[in-house]
Amino acid sequence: MNLRRFLAEAGAIVGIAVACALVSNAFAGKERQLAIPGDYPNATKVTARPEARPLAAFVAEPPAPAAPAAAATLPDQEVPASGATPSRAPLPTPIATVPAAGRDVPPDPGSQSPSAELLGRFPVHGQPFVEITGEAAAWLHARGALFLDARRSKDFAQGHVAGARSFPVWESEVVRERVGELVAEGRDPSLPVVLYCSGGDCEDSHMLAQTLFGAGFENLLVYRDGYPDWVKRGGAVRTGGPA
Amino acid sequence: MTVREALTHPWLTVRTQIALGIFFVVAALPKIADPPSFAHMVYNYRLLPGPLVNLAALTMPWAELLMGIALICGIWRRTAAWLVGALLAVFIVAISINLLRGNAIDCGCFDVAAAGLSVEERFHEMWMVILRDVGMLLLVAQGLLGADRAEGDRSA
Repeated sequence: MNLRRFLAEAGAIVGIAVACALVSNAFAGKERQLAIPGDYPNATKVTARPEARPLAAFVAEPPAPAAPAAAATLPDQEVPASGATPSRAPLPTPIATVPAAGRDVPPDPGSQSPSAELLGRFPVHGQPFVEITGEAAAWLHARGALFLDARRSKDFAQGHVAGARSFPVWESEVVRERVGELVAEGRDPSLPVVLYCSGGDCEDSHMLAQTLFGAGFENLLVYRDGYPDWVKRGGAVRTGGPA
Repeated sequence: MTVREALTHPWLTVRTQIALGIFFVVAALPKIADPPSFAHMVYNYRLLPGPLVNLAALTMPWAELLMGIALICGIWRRTAAWLVGALLAVFIVAISINLLRGNAIDCGCFDVAAAGLSVEERFHEMWMVILRDVGMLLLVAQGLLGADRAEGDRSA
């Protein structure tokens, strides 16, 4: 076979494919559209298996004032096992210990505003995210923390945490628009925001956390076991499209 | 008739290429219908730099569709067969790298939805995909040899 002819035909097939791809993407609905170029900072890094990452047990009550503040750990956040390599590399590993400020005096739920109570238990951690358990997620949900669902829109419509908003991280255009709207709301960026996806090895919520951290949100909490765990726990769910 | 003549018989070659073409058309359609899910699959391979993930996810299914149609219709058959072979080789290498890295993934070959498999099941599935792709590479080889024979017969 003539090499020149082969290259011409191969070039035509690839060229037509690229043209079809770009045209179909340009005319696709927002839920099917992809941003070009993509923005995936950790695209070539393999992450550790989630089951290898330990989570500290959720402490329902804040520590007593006498507890040494320097040794305090943020309740329910990921704590690397002793001697173990912190997991979920290359995503930024949450810091297990937090500064004593804000934790020395335990909040009195009866005398604080909901925001102060949330911040008292989940102060700004300065990382793109920390991971939390289902128990912590339930605690935050009961106190009105904002929940964001990073799964696809169709999955959100089939069922989501009651009150959660849809931020489908793989629907580039939709999520870009919604992040813009969230920023425009002028929310206090230090308030805890809970992000979740499908649990297991799902990383959509971690990717959304990276995006929101870049947009200025400072207190992002990833509910590691995600929606399946929420359902298993009997948490409130709703069906239907994005709010 | 020798074994080589039987294996490169035009009757077999045409059917092999049509079967291969149908495989690729069927594989392409769900990816074209849902690019974000396929982009997620491409991302899970952890091989492409971030800026190229979406472009690959958009372009590859259309290339598969066009190659499949070319094989089915008998247009640019040899070129399409070579491209299909190259694509299969890329898939085999990509899955092998992830097997070596211990990164269990859904292959995203014919379905872009997560299969809900355990890590062990995914590793098993990845081995099966490699075997299937090697089998399809043999079909490509048959098609190319058959095309060579057809050209030889025409020029004789």
